[in-house]
Amino acid sequence: MLPMMLVLAILLPLVAAVGCYFLRVSAIRSLIVLCTGVVLAAVSLALLGQGTFTYSPGTIVGISWDSIITLADFALLFVMLYYAFKLKNQMIKIFVILQIIPLAVFEMFFVDHAVETPAIFADSLSLIMVAVISVIGSLICFFAIPYMKEHEEHLHLVKSRQPQFFFFLVLFLGAMNGLVLSNNILWLYFFFEVTTFCSFMLIGHDQTQIAVKNATRALMLNALGGVAFVFGMIWAYAETGSLDLQVIIQAGPMGGLMLAPLGLLCLAGFTKAAQVPFQSWLLGAMVAPTPVSALLHSSTMVKAGVYIVLRLAPAYAGTFLSQGIALCGAFTFLACAAIAISQSNGKKILAYSTISNLGLIICCAGLNTSWAITAAIILIIFHAASKALLFLCVGTIEHGIGSRDIEDMHGLYLKMPRTAVITIVGVMTMLLPPFGVLLGKWMAIESASGDMFVITMLALGSALSLVFWARWAGILLTAPLRDKVPAESQSVLTRLTLTALAGIAVVLSFFSPVIYTKLIEPMVGKSFEITAGVFTSPMGVFAVYPIFIILAAAFIYSWIETKKSASDKTSQTYMCGANVPEAGVQSFIGPMNGPVELKASNYYMKEFFGEGKLTLWVNFVALALIVLMLGGAL
Amino acid sequence: MQTIILIILGIVIAPVLGGLIAGLDRRVTARLQSRFGPPILQPFYDVAKLFGKDKVVSNFWQVFCSWVYLIAAALSVGLLFAGSDLLLIFFVQAIGAVFLVMGGLSTPSPYSQVGSQRELIQVLTYEPLLILVFASIFMVTGSFRIDEILAYEQPLLVQLPLMFVVLGYALTIKLRKSPFDFSTSHHGHQELVKGMLTEFSGPYLGIIEIGHWYETIFILGICALFWHTSLVGCVLLIASTYFAELIIDNTMARMTWRWMLKYVWSIGLAMSFVNLIWLYAG
Repeated sequence: MLPMMLVLAILLPLVAAVGCYFLRVSAIRSLIVLCTGVVLAAVSLALLGQGTFTYSPGTIVGISWDSIITLADFALLFVMLYYAFKLKNQMIKIFVILQIIPLAVFEMFFVDHAVETPAIFADSLSLIMVAVISVIGSLICFFAIPYMKEHEEHLHLVKSRQPQFFFFLVLFLGAMNGLVLSNNILWLYFFFEVTTFCSFMLIGHDQTQIAVKNATRALMLNALGGVAFVFGMIWAYAETGSLDLQVIIQAGPMGGLMLAPLGLLCLAGFTKAAQVPFQSWLLGAMVAPTPVSALLHSSTMVKAGVYIVLRLAPAYAGTFLSQGIALCGAFTFLACAAIAISQSNGKKILAYSTISNLGLIICCAGLNTSWAITAAIILIIFHAASKALLFLCVGTIEHGIGSRDIEDMHGLYLKMPRTAVITIVGVMTMLLPPFGVLLGKWMAIESASGDMFVITMLALGSALSLVFWARWAGILLTAPLRDKVPAESQSVLTRLTLTALAGIAVVLSFFSPVIYTKLIEPMVGKSFEITAGVFTSPMGVFAVYPIFIILAAAFIYSWIETKKSASDKTSQTYMCGANVPEAGVQSFIGPMNGPVELKASNYYMKEFFGEGKLTLWVNFVALALIVLMLGGAL
Repeated sequence: MQTIILIILGIVIAPVLGGLIAGLDRRVTARLQSRFGPPILQPFYDVAKLFGKDKVVSNFWQVFCSWVYLIAAALSVGLLFAGSDLLLIFFVQAIGAVFLVMGGLSTPSPYSQVGSQRELIQVLTYEPLLILVFASIFMVTGSFRIDEILAYEQPLLVQLPLMFVVLGYALTIKLRKSPFDFSTSHHGHQELVKGMLTEFSGPYLGIIEIGHWYETIFILGICALFWHTSLVGCVLLIASTYFAELIIDNTMARMTWRWMLKYVWSIGLAMSFVNLIWLYAG
């Protein structure tokens, strides 16, 4: 049963991807994507029920899986090298060759191939990741079906490029599942590279000049991460003599020399999770079609980065490296939240907020108490749901109004009421109690409270993120609005995915105490008592159920009052008595007695938080912190 | 059971206290300006009058947002009385702050729009300081739980004097007093009319007024934690703090948000650092 489930989780997406590529009929392709998604989601939940396990797949027709992975790995690296030459990018060439040669030498002369290393190991962390990837990733793939059809109609393509698009989209899910289940570090490295390659192909999908440029940058920075990974892996093998990730983790805190390879592996995680100063590739990734951005930002790719840092956390617990990681993460949290304030492009706000939240997760890994690790896992789960939802909302809005700029979303409720409300729900789940992301943030802040620098950065970052979220949610409602708004039509799959994701973000938050006791506590150890849905420790209390219930009642009551207000009088917008006296016109009488239309826009505070103003300094400080982190480890 | 009673007690008592404080505020302010001032109960009369007025709205989300604001503010005070977790209470309070801003943004009036944007900057300014105050309380007492903090034998003021000043900044901003009163000036006719609250009227403005009373109690409740060991000390501390607020309010001119953000963040962070380092060293 178990081998079958693993095959379904890792290999089914590969088969489905090939199917999507060769069976070039859109109905068949949609069916394949739908079936794969449903199977993946079901399997991931079954695996979650199964619990911890270790597994070695042995051989297939006499060839060991280890050799197959090795072969595939080199094949992939040479494909990347091919693209490096095609793109004429010297840096990528260097970074890929710096992986091929050490890896070849490592495989041929150092690795003892006779030693049996269990290829697959799954604990709660891996299984939660599989569930996040398979459920949320699949929903995003569903959303992509109608979205890509519209997308290609907008572009007026003669020949559809959807087969290739869905090939990489579905393959991505399999690679991610492989990555989080791998125990053999060579396997982990292979899947790490597959995700790099998939993201490169997906970002460049539209093949516009800017898409190619940004895809190239993504490949370059992730290849740099690959180099760090290869050297970290070889160094770790030299110290421990093992490819087994669990052995490497357990060897960690004993030998000081193990810190350097761990630092390199974490650095690889940093590049993949787009931490400053590596953030530029993820921002560039916005040029890709929205489902790609959603996938990269929520359930795949960047989560692979934080997964590696979090996976290795026990290995560097209590060391300087750990403190360095906490500082780097907290700095990213603060810096990206600050830059996000100055942005008006909806996708860019989401991108910066993603990087910021990933920073928070990495900061938690660095704080490295069982409390902080719990926070990190909770953040991973709920951030994935809320962020996927928000990206897909922006995609829907963009197709609806032709813009992703939040200034153009003033009064969106009048045009797209359903999408606007779901977007607001998404924003609330990122920001307010008792939802999961805030629960994670609460745990993070409380567990960081002993560290003066980290807590200051978290406090500032948390306030900054409130500004750009509240502002966005507010302007969606901006309108003189008294009558019922006509309902909005959405395609079935769009409506289904948005509703499902909003459901996951809200309903799953209610079950956060259960998620904690069933999944997280057995793995990281007890840090809270749970009674009646209330997280309790001597240091803090977070009452999930009571607050959930009271707030739900409050919302229902407020909505009833709102309904009642239908009979209230309608006021004209206040304009100091200079209103143009026609009903329904939002203008005032201005100079020369002419009507002037009302117009308001957000404060972006560019003189404090402008992207151009901050980026250079942020990158500089982040680089210094990374040098400190690695240097201290050495 | 005891928790629930405390929550209900908090929710019932807080607006009464908050209204009285608002009345005293107006009276003392008047005296400081050599006027006579209205009766202490005037805020209650005002709110009662607001509830008697016609209901007029321009966007029905205003109604929704004003109610959520009130309920979240009441809940945060209820949790405060029940001795819950400081950060949790703060985040519940933030729900109210966010919905108030959303209500302000929901109408296209430029006054309301600009006021709401300014309110967000006010939130941005006080929020990190409050989190740092809570973190410093944690560093001294080892807990974020108010019931645990109350068990600490020494007044927090002894170890966290500078943090109390930082809290004072947050209080001034949160109460929207000069020099930080630019999102909704409590002098209705000034500059941005009534800023974020311009479009709220009648009963819905009344709801927001009651919510504001809750918030006053919320912040004063946090101040009270700094001298929790004696009732007299506690009352003395709150009274003198509030009086200082009034003096500041009456002697300062309104400043711009740029000045506020730069000034309060730098001074607030500097004082927090000094106090925290001192804690570490001690």
